[in-house]
Amino acid sequence: MTDKSLTIGSTVALPKPELDLLMADLRKNGFQTVGPHLQDESIVYTKIDGLKDLPRGILSEQNPGSYRMIQTGKDRYFDFIPGGQSWKQFLFPPRHTLFTAVKDGKWLLKENDEPTPRYALIGVRACELAAIHIQDRVFLREDFSDPIYRLRREGLFILAVNCLDPDATCFCVSMGTGPRLAAGFDLCVTELDEVFLVEVGSELGRSLLADRTYDLPSAFVQNTANQALERAAESMVRTMDTSDLPGLLTGQLEAERWTEVGKRCLSCANCTLVCPTCFCWDATDQVDILGKSTRRERVWDSCFNPHYSYVVGGNTRPNIRSRYRQWLTHKLGAWKGQFDVLGCVGCGRCITWCPAGIDLTEEVAAIRAEVKA
Amino acid sequence: MTTTLINTSAHSAGYTDKLLLPHWAEIVKIIPEIDGVTTFQLKFTDPEVENRYRFEPGQFNMLYVPGYGEAAISMSSDLETAHGLLVHTIRHIGNVTRGTSRLKVGDVVGIRGPFGTSWPLDAIEGLDVVIACGGIGLPPLRGAIYRIIRNREKYGKVTLLYGARTPKDLMYPTEYETWQKAGIDMQVTVDRGDETWTGRVGVVPMWFYHFRVDPHKTAVLTCGPEIMMRFVIYEALARRIPSDHIYISLERNMKCGQGACGHCQQGPFFICKDGPVFPFSVLENIFNVEEY
Amino acid sequence: MVPAEDIHSALQKIPWFSTLTPEHFKKTAELAHLRYAKAGETFFREGDKQDYVYIVLEGRVSLDIFVPHHGKMHFYTAEPYDVFGWSSVTPGMHQRIAGAVAVLDSTVACIDAEGLRQFAENDHDFGYLLMRRLANIVASQLMVTRLQLIDMFAGPTETMND
Repeated sequence: MTDKSLTIGSTVALPKPELDLLMADLRKNGFQTVGPHLQDESIVYTKIDGLKDLPRGILSEQNPGSYRMIQTGKDRYFDFIPGGQSWKQFLFPPRHTLFTAVKDGKWLLKENDEPTPRYALIGVRACELAAIHIQDRVFLREDFSDPIYRLRREGLFILAVNCLDPDATCFCVSMGTGPRLAAGFDLCVTELDEVFLVEVGSELGRSLLADRTYDLPSAFVQNTANQALERAAESMVRTMDTSDLPGLLTGQLEAERWTEVGKRCLSCANCTLVCPTCFCWDATDQVDILGKSTRRERVWDSCFNPHYSYVVGGNTRPNIRSRYRQWLTHKLGAWKGQFDVLGCVGCGRCITWCPAGIDLTEEVAAIRAEVKA
Repeated sequence: MTTTLINTSAHSAGYTDKLLLPHWAEIVKIIPEIDGVTTFQLKFTDPEVENRYRFEPGQFNMLYVPGYGEAAISMSSDLETAHGLLVHTIRHIGNVTRGTSRLKVGDVVGIRGPFGTSWPLDAIEGLDVVIACGGIGLPPLRGAIYRIIRNREKYGKVTLLYGARTPKDLMYPTEYETWQKAGIDMQVTVDRGDETWTGRVGVVPMWFYHFRVDPHKTAVLTCGPEIMMRFVIYEALARRIPSDHIYISLERNMKCGQGACGHCQQGPFFICKDGPVFPFSVLENIFNVEEY
Repeated sequence: MVPAEDIHSALQKIPWFSTLTPEHFKKTAELAHLRYAKAGETFFREGDKQDYVYIVLEGRVSLDIFVPHHGKMHFYTAEPYDVFGWSSVTPGMHQRIAGAVAVLDSTVACIDAEGLRQFAENDHDFGYLLMRRLANIVASQLMVTRLQLIDMFAGPTETMND
């Protein structure tokens, strides 16, 4: 049955194969559909066409320094918790050519005039959406607006998915970012065994959904979904007390704990790469051997990079201790003053993908304990 | 007291809707200064950009040398004295700045800017001013000195304390007499003297031992190696000059100049956007934290 | 030698002296005389016995140490109201370790060091004031020396540890 009176806020029961048709529609409208895909023994975000590319029947299991997947055999596509990639790679590409300059007598500049891709993100979790909103504050400011981010963000389509099975490293409840999605999406999916419950979040979402075949969900179906969502929030084990942030960290710059964690941290920068809110970047010149043409590129950078804080005469953060401290006191401290929110959404990626298994919730608790002692 | 910020696209070079795209400027004059330091005088190739470009002393440009990259370089003069040219004194010590040492008159570099906060010359009118700088900390203050000289009656006693390693490391020595005659009490110090040097041998902060300052009506502007600034601040605070009357120019690794790339952060501040000139009062809590 | 009144008025200008009791001031002034030195005149050389402690009133005096292959290294200048040659008052120093030469025409108050030491021995109240002042002088010169040692203008390739 197709009900033409869909509005923003409507929820429908969509048979799962209809998602393929919805994604095909998105592509017909000029979007590149990207989403989670099983690859390299993990979940990556890449171009996907439909259900066949999604990680079917996959459940994830995360711990500090570990990401494992379990086959459930079920016809379910979103049971896993996302892996080491985040959606920031689409709005804030890891490498991007800014311009090329060619010397022909004088230097001639040629901007990168590649068309901006329009992305449809399939499967955005609540924490990830919160991260996008945080990056909106970073990249789209009154005094400075990053054109690369802005153009991609303006054309973005978000199909969000509610998490029903948080992993051990998740702590979005503590950070107030999930697991349930409230707003900011075009469509929001809660997966049940038989169908996708889809909520309309925008006019674009509504118009795409209107062309599909769906049912109105029964009370039973709605109830099952609600119970699953509540269970998801309750099942979260990891917590972080944020009541005394940002002051706790910015006021404890000489805590013993920094020295201790500085011994464990390898300064490998994994955490900053997987973190969906980290935004540091560098600009490099790729010059040809004759020095007559150069390509200026913007690339991701990390405060753990030893050269990050190099100044003439030395390095202001030569030790791992000071670099780790910078990362955490920025993420859970200075960030608040800069962007009016804390920089962490509780996705837990930094915990999972740290080869040393460093857990920032544990570090914060340890520093708090040091203060109380 | 606030530092004045001029950072609107109406006055700038570089594009607000494109990332890191520079405007070109031609080198019209190259002046060798001390060993390893050169002053470049630049003129925008686009007259429209030249007409609208404005800056305040204390601000900086991102200078782009194609093939090498960008470096943050302070303005070393002001527009009036330089007749509209951009003047940048550069020490050839990093990758990009060493690239500049190969440039010749007629070569072209990219300019984005101006960025950052400026010396609060309006806010300190009516006060005695102590300008304490060392080494190549003088270039970022030279524009302020010119401005003060041009408005000399607006300020009280103006003292310029300048120090360098040895007499041959003193920047702009040919200008000292002009400044002295214009009413700036100039006290020059070197770390090590030589047989011909009849000036002071010592360090800039020690000037405070010899001269009384009225803490209620003195402002301090300081720029130079961080350790020199630290001791200048220490001596100034010891003489009860309020920390919001002490202005300091910080240097950090700057890549974008716009508070976007993250590199120049210290604590909550983006040095390129919230600085580089700060009243010391806002830095007090983080300035002396080692390796922060 | 200069008349006593001139010494008195010269010393009165120096802040520390004006804090002394009239009795202490009189006895100290008796140990002092003024010297007018032309640029280039030597006050003492390395190895000399320490006969005086000096206070610059006008001009500038440079302190130097001779280093083989480097010549005379000038490491400090004494400005008006700076004290130099204070090692003559510190117990335990036996000879000058540096030379002192006027670089500008200078007026310098010279105080007999032996007399000052005896005075301090016999009158511990004065001795305390003298040593306290000496401690401050040495502390501030130590601060200056440390900053010079750190070589804060050195480029990144030259550091203390290289």
